[in-house]
Amino acid sequence: MRAFFTSLLANRKASIGAGIVAFFLALAVFGPLVAPAGPNQRVGRSHEAPSAAHLMGTTRMGRDVLAQTIHGTRTSLLVGLSAGLMITAIGTAVGVTAGYIGGRLDEALNLITNVVLVIPNLPLMLVLAAFIGAASPATIALIIAGTAWGWGARVTRAQTQSLRSRDYIHAAELLGEPTWRILACELLPNLVSILGFNFIGSVLYAVVTEATLEFLGLGDALKVSWGTMLYNAQTTSALQVGAWWEVACPCLALVLFGSGLSLINFAMDEVANPRLRTLRLKLKRVAA
Amino acid sequence: MSFLLRRAGFYVVAFVVAAIFNFLLPRLMPGNPVDIMFAQAGTVLPPESLEALKATFGFVDGPWPVQFGRYLASVFTFDLGLSVRFHPLTVNAVLMQALPWTLLLVLTSSLIAFLLGSALGIRAAWRRGGAFDSFGAPAALMIQAVPPLVTSLVALFVLSIRLKWLPTGYAWAPELDPGFTPAFIGSVLVHAALPILTLVVAQIGGYLVTMRNSMINLLGEDYITLATAKGLSDGRVRYAYAARNALLPTVTSFAMTLGATFGGALITEIVFNYPGLGYTLYQGITARDYPLIQGQLMLMTLAMLTANFAADLLCLALDPRLRRA
Repeated sequence: MRAFFTSLLANRKASIGAGIVAFFLALAVFGPLVAPAGPNQRVGRSHEAPSAAHLMGTTRMGRDVLAQTIHGTRTSLLVGLSAGLMITAIGTAVGVTAGYIGGRLDEALNLITNVVLVIPNLPLMLVLAAFIGAASPATIALIIAGTAWGWGARVTRAQTQSLRSRDYIHAAELLGEPTWRILACELLPNLVSILGFNFIGSVLYAVVTEATLEFLGLGDALKVSWGTMLYNAQTTSALQVGAWWEVACPCLALVLFGSGLSLINFAMDEVANPRLRTLRLKLKRVAA
Repeated sequence: MSFLLRRAGFYVVAFVVAAIFNFLLPRLMPGNPVDIMFAQAGTVLPPESLEALKATFGFVDGPWPVQFGRYLASVFTFDLGLSVRFHPLTVNAVLMQALPWTLLLVLTSSLIAFLLGSALGIRAAWRRGGAFDSFGAPAALMIQAVPPLVTSLVALFVLSIRLKWLPTGYAWAPELDPGFTPAFIGSVLVHAALPILTLVVAQIGGYLVTMRNSMINLLGEDYITLATAKGLSDGRVRYAYAARNALLPTVTSFAMTLGATFGGALITEIVFNYPGLGYTLYQGITARDYPLIQGQLMLMTLAMLTANFAADLLCLALDPRLRRA
């Protein structure tokens, strides 16, 4: 465990990725203090090009694009982190339970997991969001978590199945440890790297999906986030009139944050290799 | 055979679950489900069509099981009701107009991304740790982290609004009549180029990394060492021995990524006003055309299940162990 984190920190990709993510976390926490203006404050004329006064220009409504992006970071990251946490929690709970207990319960949970995996996520979320109407960020996080936990559950289940026949698990069973203790104290620590992959991948997915849903007009357009910024830019045809800066800033934030997370994931893959890599290939075959 | 039967049974279950979801959702919302679903429809449709539409979605007199039975009957006979936004067309007709355009985008881009990504993955794995590998593999992962939404917006702005190389939207030039004329086909290709390009960018990283990782695993196997020791040419070992087997995981993951590709195509189509399923869905959402939105979910689910079934058949052909089970 400790060796895993030490070699992770020594990895250059990991440190760059962690730096980027830390930057956005700081922006989410302290953003409102450093932002040049309020999120819905009119600071200039409509569609002013980037200048010294407004580094990333202004929107159609005359709001500062950079300030909006900074304020939006909090919403976008909050949705990403909470949905990522929920996806990981549901996936791990289902996967560990199914993998360890087995039998009928495993069959039932596995069936549910496969159904969740095979029904296409985006249309499913669109139907949900359309019925709900202008969905708040919290609702969007719930929708994302409810539809996206399948992959994590499948991977965790497969790894649990390969762990449960190990000697130390048998020893714990013979000692009469209660089931919850075996799950929480014996199995879970050995699933940490999978949990990490699952969490980071899920956060990335959730941030992008939130932006996509809001871009489609299914979010609450009054709440400033990267997604609603893109939605407002699209509905005011910002690109068509040449106001690229209204789109550039939230896009850049999405890409940069995503790259940070992928760098961490890539570094974790390198460190946890070669066992994880062979495991993943086996999984794909089981999946089919 | 039992393998295929089991899979087929699972697909029926998955399809029914999607139907249950569609059935329950309006009924779980606060308020009267009929009012919620048909608020827009009432303003457009004549009364007798509205009654038929309600019956299609199971809003008939009787307890829930009867209503659900009625809805299942419509779903399994592919009667998806009437569209509100595109009145007087049925949802089926609207979806069938849009489907070929989405298939054009999804299939072409998947094929290009698969071939190109796999070839690059083979190259990266063959010279593991070399210049191309240490740059290409992380780059592929970074590209994969870029959402299709961003790729589409950037491509739209740079290539069509600024440079004016490619059209900004629609599937063909409006002054042309659809038909198998060279001018029309050329126009279709030019209009499809940009959406396809963005979808290729969205997918290529995944194929590159999968192929690279499974190649690297295989290159350590004894039979590769033997093939090299026998004096076979590099190209022969690389493609006929290593890449051939390394393709298996890619083929099986193909079906799983198809869902994401359909999702990406939805976004791309909306950005480029491309008249496929995604753009139709978008119009449905803005008009709160619930029959159309729900029908779209059923069609997408069906497409996913078909792709998975095709992958099952392919696995059965490639992996003899499954046939014995």
